[in-house]
Amino acid sequence: MSPERLTERLEALAPGAWELYFKQGISREIRRAARDVSETFRSEEGLAARWWDPAPRFAAAGDEASLAGAIERARESPVSPGTLPSWPTGAAPAPELVAAEPPPDVHEELARLVAAESRGEATLTELTVRSGRTIERVVNAAGLDVAWSAGARTGFAAAVGRRGARACEARVPFRWDGAPDLPSLARRLCDRATLPLSDRAAPVERGDWLLEPSVAAALLAGLAPLFCRERSARWAARGGLLAPEISIVDDAGSDAPFDGEGTRTRRVVVFEKGGLGLPLRDLAAARRDGAFSTGHGVRPSYRTPPGLGARRLFFETERPAPPRELLAGVRRGLFASALIAPWRCDLENDRYEAEFTGIAVVAGHAQGPVSSARSRGRLSELLRRITALAPAAEAFPSPEPVVGATVLVERVSFD
Amino acid sequence: MALDPSAVSRFLEPLAREPGEIADVFVERRQEIRLDWRDGVVVATRRTATEGLAVRWRRGSAERLCAVSRTDDTGLREASRQLQGALGRGVVPIRAAAPPSGDAWRPLSGERWRRRLEAMLARHAPRHDFRWTLAEVEREISPARAPGATSLRRLISLDGTFTASSRRGDETRRFSFHGPESDTLADELRDALARAAEPHEATVPCPEGDADVVLAGGCAAVLFHEILSHPLEGGAVSPLSGLSEARVAVAELEVRDDATRLDLFGGYECDDEGVRPRPVKLLDAGRLGGRLTGRDPGAAAGRETSNGHGRRAEPGDAPLPRGANVVVAPGGTTREEILRRLDQGFWIDALDAGSVELASGSFRLRFPRARRVRRGRLSDELGPGLLAGEILGVLKRIETGLGRESHVYRPLGWCARGGQVVPVQGEAPDLIVRGLAVRSLA
Repeated sequence: MSPERLTERLEALAPGAWELYFKQGISREIRRAARDVSETFRSEEGLAARWWDPAPRFAAAGDEASLAGAIERARESPVSPGTLPSWPTGAAPAPELVAAEPPPDVHEELARLVAAESRGEATLTELTVRSGRTIERVVNAAGLDVAWSAGARTGFAAAVGRRGARACEARVPFRWDGAPDLPSLARRLCDRATLPLSDRAAPVERGDWLLEPSVAAALLAGLAPLFCRERSARWAARGGLLAPEISIVDDAGSDAPFDGEGTRTRRVVVFEKGGLGLPLRDLAAARRDGAFSTGHGVRPSYRTPPGLGARRLFFETERPAPPRELLAGVRRGLFASALIAPWRCDLENDRYEAEFTGIAVVAGHAQGPVSSARSRGRLSELLRRITALAPAAEAFPSPEPVVGATVLVERVSFD
Repeated sequence: MALDPSAVSRFLEPLAREPGEIADVFVERRQEIRLDWRDGVVVATRRTATEGLAVRWRRGSAERLCAVSRTDDTGLREASRQLQGALGRGVVPIRAAAPPSGDAWRPLSGERWRRRLEAMLARHAPRHDFRWTLAEVEREISPARAPGATSLRRLISLDGTFTASSRRGDETRRFSFHGPESDTLADELRDALARAAEPHEATVPCPEGDADVVLAGGCAAVLFHEILSHPLEGGAVSPLSGLSEARVAVAELEVRDDATRLDLFGGYECDDEGVRPRPVKLLDAGRLGGRLTGRDPGAAAGRETSNGHGRRAEPGDAPLPRGANVVVAPGGTTREEILRRLDQGFWIDALDAGSVELASGSFRLRFPRARRVRRGRLSDELGPGLLAGEILGVLKRIETGLGRESHVYRPLGWCARGGQVVPVQGEAPDLIVRGLAVRSLA
């Protein structure tokens, strides 16, 4: 069955109320672990259809004929009627899918950097680098027909730190938008693998808190549902949460020109002047709010329908300061180098908890490692106490990219 | 699935010429029905039909895999061609791709389940936000120089939250249930829902510090999955490495990984390398037993080293040695006796997440609620918390006197490692663990 026949069938089932999505992807992955080397080539094609008859239905398959069958079978269950979104329109021609570049072979160099950075205490145990390209296309009942190409280099690295009989494992995901940033990856691996081996607890109960970009990115990822208004958070609506010169922005323009529903990607300031800014919206949220979609219909795979989500969050400030300057500004506190448990954000109850490993800092100077420390309290207070930011650093997969930056928070309690 | 066997062997033959080489073709067809339920009504439905094929070659420590998203002879040719090109071997000639063979999917209906769920949810959890999934996974593995194998599994999951009443008013509770489709599964699900909806007292935050706990209701399976299954996966380096046959726990403790238990979510008839699984004793009378293994290309000819635990999440993933179903043998102690022996501590009958760091051997388990035990009696309801410990230490502190009944723990359904998510499950009796670190998450 051709795509044209599929659109005809969808139009017959749900006149003016359907969307068809195509995805084609190729990737190449190299994994090295100890002496094992594996290389994986993947090539994938898939299609998905959404339609309202008037119940919302979704079907996905690997080819047109299977999708046609899945569409018929998806009509089996009675479903309560849903609200039809307002479809975007526009056109963008389909680019050609070019072969993904082979992932760079950086295992040896990273292993050397990890050993040097940790003074021999940490060893790189695994490195997986995946390089992939995709072509996506969205067609809908309103005449939209847009296609775009995107590429990414992602992966994860693992290291083990050893001191005497003690050991600690680090697994660090990464995403390289440009050239591989090996020194940064090596430093993150070493910190996560070796700092917990020290016996030292947090020497301060209250002080400044300097967040490494990956830790700040985890905070942003935890806040993301707030920007989608998925959770009721009355505390966030009160305002006065961030310094006026600091804002939080979502802009995936550098990744893809359209979202998974074919809406053009745009820059959205989600937190500005201390309070919530424009909410992120996909087509369903736009319909619910009687507003326009901001291009945040995220489709992690063709197998799942698009859902509302942040696509590339980052902090922005009018007066960025270099990380060294932020460190110099710490009177007494902790540098959170890596999280040792997922950052917990309870957006409904305005609570957070972060468990991390890091370095004690006094008068801007490192005083020695801290094996583990915990900070917990009100999210609103944490945001209010962010006083300075470094320029945006690298992006971290979460799974959509979140860009981290060194962040200074004043007067935080630790235990 | 209709791959021409002669075409499969023709493509595999040049990939496995040497005795130390492994080559196989893996085919998967997966159908899924998903219904999103809200307060007794299906609000969205999804139907997916996806397939994939992978050709793999392995020799010693080197492995290559090519995966495509079609399962016909054209897909086989495409994947083989790419793999042989990557290995620099006689490349398969290009042939025009045939159009996909059409919609040849086995009928799969969720209607019977939808009607059952409608009644069940109305009775036990009328206010809810659930996602019900029925997945049918059909796999075919054709190894070079070995017989092929096929498997078919139908797995059911119900996940989400519902509103239950408690002494302090309405309360949102998480619910998770996973099982292979069977005649009795609906009854099990109904009983599990009814138990989950029982009224609770108002909770107080969990006290922090070291405590003795009873892991009840089968949730000890999560503990053993973390502290035995993962460390004993082939190739894993952990504090258990090098302790083969050492006594690490009480002699009463027998733990095995049993993929042949098809009544559990993690069971299968053959693994993803075409090997029939064998139950593996992880802990035999308190002594460390065997490891979970997949095929080893370095094994002597005719000697199969795999015990059927080479598993893949999907065709694009290379198989890894993974656990399936952790089964802990019951003892002979009654619940009352266990409570009496515990005297002071926590009674935990649900664990909703777990993780282990193999290098250090430290693990964490998260519980959504607990009961305090005082003088051998259940008292206050406690809020959520974390249990933490270290593998060898906790194995030594599991007390003799295991419960006389093993309980299947249906909330345990999936395990992720290195980005690969595979179905797992387990069953365990009630047992006492002394001296676990407890932290409140309230």
